[in-house]
Amino acid sequence: MYPVGRVLWLALAGEPGTAFARVLADPRMRGSAWFTLWQAGVSTALTLVAAFPLTWAVARFRFRGRQLVRAVVTVPFVLPTVVVGTAFVALGLDGSLAAILAAHVFYNLAVVVRTVGGLWARLDPDLVDSARALGASPWRAFRTVTLPLLRPAIAAASSIVFLFTFTSFGVVLILGNLRWRTIEVEIFHQAITFLRLPAAGALAVLQMVGVTAILVLYSRYQERRAVRVRLVAEEQTLRRPQGGRQRVAVAAAVVGTVGAVSVPLLGLLVESFANGGAGWRFLTEPGPLAVRPVEAIGNSLAFAGAATVMAVTVGTLSALVVSRGAGMLSRWFDVVLMLPLGTSAVTIGFGFLVALDRPVDLRATWILVPLAHALVAVPFVVRAAAPILRSVRGEVREAATMLGASPRRVFTEIDLPIVARAVAVGAGFAAAVSLGEFGATSFIVRPNTITIPTLIFRLLSRPGSVSFAAAMAMAVVLAALTAALIMAVDRVRAGEVGSF
Amino acid sequence: MLQTVDLHKRFDGVAALDGVDLEVGDGEVVAVLGPSGSGKSTLLRVIAGLERPDRGRVRWDGEDVTEVPPHLRRFGLMFQSYALFPHLTVAGNVAFGLRMLGLRPEEVEKRTWEALRWVDLEDFADRPVEGLSGGEQQRVALARTLAPEPRLVMLDEPLGALDRNLRERLVVDTRRLLRERGATALYVTHDHGEAESVADRVAIMHAGRIVQTGTLAEIRRAPADAWVADFVG
Repeated sequence: MYPVGRVLWLALAGEPGTAFARVLADPRMRGSAWFTLWQAGVSTALTLVAAFPLTWAVARFRFRGRQLVRAVVTVPFVLPTVVVGTAFVALGLDGSLAAILAAHVFYNLAVVVRTVGGLWARLDPDLVDSARALGASPWRAFRTVTLPLLRPAIAAASSIVFLFTFTSFGVVLILGNLRWRTIEVEIFHQAITFLRLPAAGALAVLQMVGVTAILVLYSRYQERRAVRVRLVAEEQTLRRPQGGRQRVAVAAAVVGTVGAVSVPLLGLLVESFANGGAGWRFLTEPGPLAVRPVEAIGNSLAFAGAATVMAVTVGTLSALVVSRGAGMLSRWFDVVLMLPLGTSAVTIGFGFLVALDRPVDLRATWILVPLAHALVAVPFVVRAAAPILRSVRGEVREAATMLGASPRRVFTEIDLPIVARAVAVGAGFAAAVSLGEFGATSFIVRPNTITIPTLIFRLLSRPGSVSFAAAMAMAVVLAALTAALIMAVDRVRAGEVGSF
Repeated sequence: MLQTVDLHKRFDGVAALDGVDLEVGDGEVVAVLGPSGSGKSTLLRVIAGLERPDRGRVRWDGEDVTEVPPHLRRFGLMFQSYALFPHLTVAGNVAFGLRMLGLRPEEVEKRTWEALRWVDLEDFADRPVEGLSGGEQQRVALARTLAPEPRLVMLDEPLGALDRNLRERLVVDTRRLLRERGATALYVTHDHGEAESVADRVAIMHAGRIVQTGTLAEIRRAPADAWVADFVG
């Protein structure tokens, strides 16, 4: 909290309100703010539209490889934003608005497919069938029955996508070529390029106000939706595609979406081998940078280890409080779970830069980077761990007691395994966040302890086809590391502790 | 045989149990029927040992068990929310009570399959409990409660969370299961039809007291007071 406080103070100090007044009067910054807002809106709308065919196919039909398709479209979502940005650079699309929007859609597709598709697959098919029996056309039945019932999921998915794109930093910094700037990117420029700290502080406050407003709107909506829908198991609703037309439509939705998602990833892989593998060789050789590029991998892994320990300790404890707490805290449970989606990593990095010089100057020590990563990761740990911990209600413990478990055995058989699972999942997310963290790191990283994402950014901003290929190669490494971590987390989440 | 004597329990000065005397004979299924807030769930929790009574005793076959901790009473309790263990599979849930008995692993496995067969869930053995429908969860909870063959089976609104169609089907299954095992059971419900079809005898509960017991037909014929007449009416 302290670094964020310093950012606030920076914005408010001096003549009251001057920093704000200057920011609001500056057409450049007004432009960035306006761009942030409208690109988030457009990105969200485009994501909803682009995700619709696959959501429909996955939610309604049973076909071979259905789970695999769901997994494949989730890949972009877990990739670091730097990798996503780099993948679109690999396609030669940087500098255009279209590339930014496409990258946002690419990144967020899974949010819609999973959130909306998850609910859709569990809606009672009898509802639509009875509408059809009453004479509604398929389209009409969709519009008057299915769509209204899906509204909560659509609203939830839209809020998440909007938040993500509203606070988009890595993608816009890499693809925007200084021309297109979100508030996050503008904060970075004002602070690092122009050294105008009060302006950056004022922007950070503006950003926080925006994020808070979105979260408040979201929680209001959550409270108001009252319609209780009876949900049935997915197995009962999924059908095989019937008839030629339906089969073609499902196949087109699946192949089209999976194909579109694969293009940037394959592009990244292909470009990393351009120049006969010069990019990969560049990574291992001492080059023009302060360290051998390959050392960045070691730095990133070490930082991730330290950040994970810190984030898991703080995050699991907070999750315990949130999941046990009564009244106020529980009421805000959903909002708390949304927080990581709106955390501004740039603000955290900026805050560290201006705040942590007293009482000890932490800015010169290695601890700064993992500390910032841990701060960014804590909400993710809470988000991952709290629902798992919440599943141990008092009655679950009492049920174990009634089945003959002594208090000690209740602890070892019920509490421990569940907390351990929450910790493991939280740790996986924390490590993934740390590995991919770019926003905060870009403010505070030192050249001799550079991390993978910041190295990629440096390589991209250097001229020459070798650095370009090296950036691609580094992005492939980062993507592989992240994917391995997320797969391990999924194992733990789905895996059961022996069947007996 | 279960016997409660003059059970009292107050929460924040409000009486939840106000002198409950109740008997359940061996192999008998008694339904405790009453409106919500009449103290039914508290009664089960006190008998289970999860709550201490302010006054009164709980006896089993004449032995006073009021001070015996809940996990040593060998009483089973099925919660309205089912309270399934989220980190275990269907089979893992059902096996839990058998493992607590200290049985050998082969014995645990054999009796787990048996219990799964009672509720027709053999195919679900290795599924996590998370994705199950309400009816399936209910059957897991029932099998889990019955598997260790507790001396007394208590069910707290076991069908309360389900919709009516499912409830009508499962009430028949539940009765059959209790009968086949010869279980001594206390079945809490607010639904007259459920009480009538499951139980040998009904105990009407109102404001923390058992106001009348008998078959529903008997109670309808000669209600103890105006409130009972209105409630069963």
